[in-house]
Amino acid sequence: MDIGELKRQSDLSYDISVAKRNALEKAHARLLVVYNEHIFRADAETINLVKTLSEVHPSPFYVLDTNDNPVEIAEPKLFLKTLIERNQEAISSYHQMSKTFGKRVD
Amino acid sequence: MTKKGVLLFCFDTPDFKYHKILEKCVLLIKRNLKLEVTVVTNFETYKHIKPLGFVNYKFIEPELGNKKYGLEWRNVDRHMAYELSPYDVTLVMDIDYFPFTDNLKQFLDTKYDFLVSKNVHDLTNRNSFDTRKYSMIDMVWATVFVFRKGKKAKRIFDMIKYVKQYYSYFMDLYRVVDRRFRNDYAFAIALEQANGMITYDTLPITLPTLPPDCRVLEINDEGITWQYNDQVNFTKNQDVHVLNKEVANV
Repeated sequence: MDIGELKRQSDLSYDISVAKRNALEKAHARLLVVYNEHIFRADAETINLVKTLSEVHPSPFYVLDTNDNPVEIAEPKLFLKTLIERNQEAISSYHQMSKTFGKRVD
Repeated sequence: MTKKGVLLFCFDTPDFKYHKILEKCVLLIKRNLKLEVTVVTNFETYKHIKPLGFVNYKFIEPELGNKKYGLEWRNVDRHMAYELSPYDVTLVMDIDYFPFTDNLKQFLDTKYDFLVSKNVHDLTNRNSFDTRKYSMIDMVWATVFVFRKGKKAKRIFDMIKYVKQYYSYFMDLYRVVDRRFRNDYAFAIALEQANGMITYDTLPITLPTLPPDCRVLEINDEGITWQYNDQVNFTKNQDVHVLNKEVANV
């Protein structure tokens, strides 16, 4: 491999790294969801917490929003559905974008 | 019914035609956020703005005197957002923040009286906005904030006015390196003072920001393509805060 090819690969790696980081930030931004006048992050932790509480604790139950303020969740199923939909919307978009990274290397 | 909308400030300067940036921003707001828009401007700027459909205009004469890199910087009037906004819940944005998504819209539906972000993401991956070491106070990014009219928000804006009035004192108190008037510091100081010197509620977003040394090559309906050195990259369906004012000419 000549030095020109090495530089090209290095530039490509840099471009992909920047694009990946930005796509991840885009996904993180999309994970934020407002429910019951509070802001939540529809990430794995929130989904797992809400799913667990909905299974083992009678409703309503209480969770913390992104500012650590307590929120009453009176309709766990609806909240969980909202979280999962937003989570998969954000992550599937990230997945679509990540497929283009592989194509750039090919 | 609660009235919600976006408030923008736009004043041309001898060096930059900010109204051209405004035009791009308003179109994206209408397309993606689908909210009513009010623009605070002066008549000199207004007469250059192309027709943008239904937009409210409020005319004020901008306070002059602030400079950035030796050029006039008309950014001092943000403290009047409370009085100028015709809405119950207001999203205030810099006109160089391009909303390519509807992400911000949902934050007008919270119970919070005042929300502003502390975090920013450098889209070139250089982490060039690490401002923590330049002051004793954690800076906020007044680029995007949401407020609900009421006693608490009014108190915060009154405090912002007070900080602005005694700005050099507060710059010394908090050992802020940047001596220009910056809304980011005025808001951060006011929020800390108004909240009893402890933490306050924030908008948990990270503002995707393009540093001023990046040249915007193209803006279309979905995103931005930019160049930094010999690298070209792009965003798609992601909000972008563009700091290079040459974006007015793209």
